[in-house]
Amino acid sequence: MKKYIWKKVLTGILTIVLSFCFTFFLIRCAPGNPIKVLAGTDNPNPELIEHLTTKYGLDKPISVQFINYLKNVLKGDFGYSYISNESVTKLIKERMFPTILLTLTSSILSLVLGTFFGVYAARKVGTGIDKFMCGLSYIIDATPGFWLGMILILIFASTFKILPTSGMYDIREDYQGIYKALDVIKHMILPCITLCIIQIPLYFRMARSSVLQIMSEDFILTLRATGMKENRIFNKYILRNAIIPTITMFSLSLAFTISGVALIEIVFAWPGMGRLIMDAIKNRDYPLLTGIYLMISISICIVMIITDIVYALMDPRIRYE
Amino acid sequence: MALLEIQNLNITYKTDKKEIRAVKDFSLNIDTKDSIGIVGESGSGKSTLAMGILKLLPKGTTKTTGKILFDGVDLLELTEEEFRKLRWKDISVVFQKSMNSLSPVHKIGFQMKDIYRVHEPDARDEEVRKRILELFRFVNLSDRVYNLYPHELSGGMMQRVSIALSLIYYPKLLILDEATTALDVVTQGQILDEIMKLEEALDLTRIMITHDISVVASSCKKVVVMYGGCLLESGYVYDVLVNPKHPYTQGLLNSFPDFIGEKKDLRGIPGSIPDLSLEYKSCIFTNRCKKAKSICFEKIPKIKTFPNEWNVACHLLGGFDGE
Repeated sequence: MKKYIWKKVLTGILTIVLSFCFTFFLIRCAPGNPIKVLAGTDNPNPELIEHLTTKYGLDKPISVQFINYLKNVLKGDFGYSYISNESVTKLIKERMFPTILLTLTSSILSLVLGTFFGVYAARKVGTGIDKFMCGLSYIIDATPGFWLGMILILIFASTFKILPTSGMYDIREDYQGIYKALDVIKHMILPCITLCIIQIPLYFRMARSSVLQIMSEDFILTLRATGMKENRIFNKYILRNAIIPTITMFSLSLAFTISGVALIEIVFAWPGMGRLIMDAIKNRDYPLLTGIYLMISISICIVMIITDIVYALMDPRIRYE
Repeated sequence: MALLEIQNLNITYKTDKKEIRAVKDFSLNIDTKDSIGIVGESGSGKSTLAMGILKLLPKGTTKTTGKILFDGVDLLELTEEEFRKLRWKDISVVFQKSMNSLSPVHKIGFQMKDIYRVHEPDARDEEVRKRILELFRFVNLSDRVYNLYPHELSGGMMQRVSIALSLIYYPKLLILDEATTALDVVTQGQILDEIMKLEEALDLTRIMITHDISVVASSCKKVVVMYGGCLLESGYVYDVLVNPKHPYTQGLLNSFPDFIGEKKDLRGIPGSIPDLSLEYKSCIFTNRCKKAKSICFEKIPKIKTFPNEWNVACHLLGGFDGE
């Protein structure tokens, strides 16, 4: 088991290093560059462009840029954003927490609810309620998240005025302590519900189909033949076996949502990573982008390592590979 | 008295469009300490019969009529809860695919302990463990299997685990549904030997479902030949397999090579198994029977009893009127 974990950690580190190098070069391959954004497009001054290019070291060969950047990163210095001139570390730090708060909460909620509904539907397979839930899951699956978010804002914020429309804090008030937390929760409800609604169908279908699959396995027949009670077979054997694919699903979606909730964040003006990434890409903000990509690959790797370990704990068949 | 008395058992699978009569008017008596081999081609209703006795067929899509008297009690009359108390304690089973017969994510010992507690909820850990290890020794498994997962064992070992598991309460009736089919002949031979030894020691009654006649010949006292859901011939192995009366049994035996004596041509039975969704008013085997006479196409044959508990369902025996 120890060896297994070490192997996973080393693979993770290798993945991070490789993706770091790739993204560094790939970003610079993309058309456009930050100097053009900074100098403006209306009437760019060639002297200004030249000055900025030299200032940010973009006149040097790309390999030299890479080595310089690497040196700084090893010292813990990720540089400054070309656009806002703020430290990349600070920018990411500010945005990381809201995103993790939102994605983790919504992912865990969807995992629990989706799995619960899926298991419930599987137990009632073939009945009206099962068919209804399946149908509903397809409809929700086809619903765009940003649209759903806007409709929710329309209903709960604009019409009924019971929840705030956007942001993470009430900027008119200066809450402290518990009130601040409550304020954040209040702001989080709508984006969280939106994310849950679009994620639940995935967990629902995964849980439902894997429970159904396990229910048709031979060992369930053996257990029935032994006279074990149906509830016990279900709770002890079926669930334990059926939960395994859900874990994979959870980690995949978690890794995805850390970077992929941009649209929802924009709809709700949530000060998270998603919008930071969009802006950084639009402006070709090299240091910020590289920093963000590094952060994303590190968090994905951490999630994957945790998943692999949980997976190994849950399923003895993959433990000693 | 017979341990298991099956009377006019009919099992039907219902689909939207048709009904498939998998077991038809099947009657059989099994005495205590008998070992009965049920042979037949794929689709002859052997496994359905076993699942019917075990009441493991899906309730919504199957219909079972007739009587299955076990120790004088009709199993089909029992409620699920009443039958649950008999399950495994009195009737246990070994399935064909033993590799998948236990949960892959729980240790073997854990599962066997859990199964033991189904009927003995108050058993102490030590006691249960002792019993399981004793069974392991019975089937020639080492103690360390207790702490292994199913995927860590070979097919043959899992088969032994399944057999040990089926014996955990020393049941009265053991059903082996193709239990050794997936094994190589050496392992199969070993396991059959072990089962026969266990039978002596534990007074087991055994039903062995297989399409391998040699398994029946080497390990069973009696044999039942099934075809298209019907019983065609039953009796002692040394009667039926040495001197078969039914044309189907004869054909079946011609398709197996002899170990001793001269080499002779192996012959299969031309044709294929009947469509069980149709209703047959004739002998089920007529269409493939080389000896069929006109009466065979007109009437369902009655079962005729010969000395030594030898039953045959064929018009050609004991006079053509068959009554």
